[in-house]
Amino acid sequence: MELFMQLLVTGVMLGSIFSLVALGWVLIYKCSGVLNLAMGELTMIGGYVCLALYTWFVTLMPPTQAFLIALGCTLVVGLVLGLLTERIFLRKMIGEPILAVIMVTVGLSFFFKGLVFIIWDTDTQVFQPRLFSIEPIVVAGIAVGEVYLWSFVASMILMVIFVSFFKYTRWGLSMQACADDETAALSVGVSAKFVYALAWAIAFMSAGVGGTLLGNINGLNYSVSSLGLLVLPVVVFGGLNSVPGAIVGGITIGILQNLTGGYLDRFFPGGIKEIAPFVFMVVFLLFKPYGLWGWERIERV
Amino acid sequence: MSYLPCGTYFESYGADHQWWRTSFIKGKMVLMLVVMAVFPYLVDPQWLSVAYTVNYYILAALGVQLLIGYCGQITLGHAAFVAVGAYCSAYMMLPQHFPWPQWIVDAGLAYPISMVCAGILAGLWSVLFGLPSARVKGFYLIMTTMAAQWITVPLVITQYVAQIGGRGQAFSLPEGTFRIGPVLIDSDTKIYYLSAILVCLCLLAMGNILRSRLGRAWIAIRDNDIAAETMGVNIVAYKLYAFFVSGFFAGIAGAFYISTLSFISPEHYEWFFSLLWVGIILIGGVGSIQGIVFGSVFVVMVFKLLEMGVMWSSGALMDSYPALGWITTKIIFFKEAAFGLAIIFFLTYEPNGISYRYWQLKNYFNLWPFSYTGK
Repeated sequence: MELFMQLLVTGVMLGSIFSLVALGWVLIYKCSGVLNLAMGELTMIGGYVCLALYTWFVTLMPPTQAFLIALGCTLVVGLVLGLLTERIFLRKMIGEPILAVIMVTVGLSFFFKGLVFIIWDTDTQVFQPRLFSIEPIVVAGIAVGEVYLWSFVASMILMVIFVSFFKYTRWGLSMQACADDETAALSVGVSAKFVYALAWAIAFMSAGVGGTLLGNINGLNYSVSSLGLLVLPVVVFGGLNSVPGAIVGGITIGILQNLTGGYLDRFFPGGIKEIAPFVFMVVFLLFKPYGLWGWERIERV
Repeated sequence: MSYLPCGTYFESYGADHQWWRTSFIKGKMVLMLVVMAVFPYLVDPQWLSVAYTVNYYILAALGVQLLIGYCGQITLGHAAFVAVGAYCSAYMMLPQHFPWPQWIVDAGLAYPISMVCAGILAGLWSVLFGLPSARVKGFYLIMTTMAAQWITVPLVITQYVAQIGGRGQAFSLPEGTFRIGPVLIDSDTKIYYLSAILVCLCLLAMGNILRSRLGRAWIAIRDNDIAAETMGVNIVAYKLYAFFVSGFFAGIAGAFYISTLSFISPEHYEWFFSLLWVGIILIGGVGSIQGIVFGSVFVVMVFKLLEMGVMWSSGALMDSYPALGWITTKIIFFKEAAFGLAIIFFLTYEPNGISYRYWQLKNYFNLWPFSYTGK
């Protein structure tokens, strides 16, 4: 039971990072209809940028401060990269068939991956000096790593910021309008281009923070991008265009991953932990293809 | 179908859809076969490996083209089926795993038989992951085919299949395993001829299937599945046929490719390759058999030229700028970035692919000097 609780709590905290990244994915899909397969690489870029900035800043100031400033700079870099990516690559793809748009994001993922490994190496890199102590925090018999706890806090804060931005600000309202009915939004003067750019910028920022947190947990290498790809099971589970679905889905997939890692690994040694979300996704698709809260599209000839 | 020269017309459907509609086309095809046959004697031996890599990509992308270009079922997990074919063929050829009667081994039939079995097994595996296509389509189908990749290669093959006999990750196929009849496949030239024959057979098969009832049903499903269903096409069955046939081609490709490597390892079937083959058909042209060939040639040549360029520049510049040595170690990432940019470029500026340009060129010369198409 103790093991179960421990896996559950860690899973929720890991899942909150997936939720954060999935939130960015869902915003892009809601606003512009782009199914983004480059999310793993966006996560990786954010992680590497933050790492590079951190190793630079840490020579100038104490680690905590350096990390916070590096995280802030990662957000800025994500914003700029998001705007650029949308402008250069995605703007021309508006209204193209689904396969074309998906393959452009696949091309982007190759491009970014190549770029990241040309600039930084493929070896695993860690945040040096360590930010979080290895000693776990024990509450009521459940040991939780400090890094997990802080990741949970950070992603929750960011998620609240993004969701309230989406719900209550003027820009967020124009994004909602665009997601709801693009033609109607255009007719009342919402700039669709601006909304797309905003969605990509938010996706880059959330993925960047997600990558930083994942990098703090396991170190940065190629596996961060496959963790970033886990947004796909997450959004399929929650529904492609549902913000609460992304949050619930992320936490569910995090729990699922940890539980399979804890219980099934001894029966199926090796990668079951990474595969389980995809197996779950296939089975789930057969029964509820539109996810928990996704819109069901009715097709007519 | 391209426009025919002035004065050439057909009176029956059969005549309009035959392989060689005019003697000029026939001549072109024969010329192509001749060029393929004498190719090893024309070029430097290093280009032979490039040529059979092109042929391998054609074989593998054939199934992808069938699914995406002709049946409208987007797949991003084709490397899984190639891997199934490769491993099936490899296991059937190793005598310690598979008890062949001695006369079959002596007659050199083990490899061809294993190739067919690999195709069938990969086809069935592909049908298994095509089953959700009965219910879902579009993005959701992409998800299931991606799941096929993640379940097959990193889990089933790496963790279980590759471990049979305690071999670890990669294992080698001893020399002399690859025999077709009396011919021992042991040199680049012979591998090239094997690949060329397979490509011709598979392209022929694909072209013929597309002219049949099956192919017409697939194209109807691609164009509008609901309309196809109302016209009496059993869409679930025909989608599954499409998955089977494309998996079969993938299996043949996998069974062929092990003969070039003489060993087999899961890292040749990563997700990258699934995306690579989809990229190939996008670059070549979706819904066109020639597109597969053009796309494969383009992608392989880009990779090869990039490699040669880096090798040349490292040779020329390394003496004066030794600090640039890191470039050669990272060539694979330059390749990936270039491939990504190529996909984006083609989708943005040339969405119909190279085969569309070829089609325009053909029409221009067919109708020359009095073009009436306005294109």
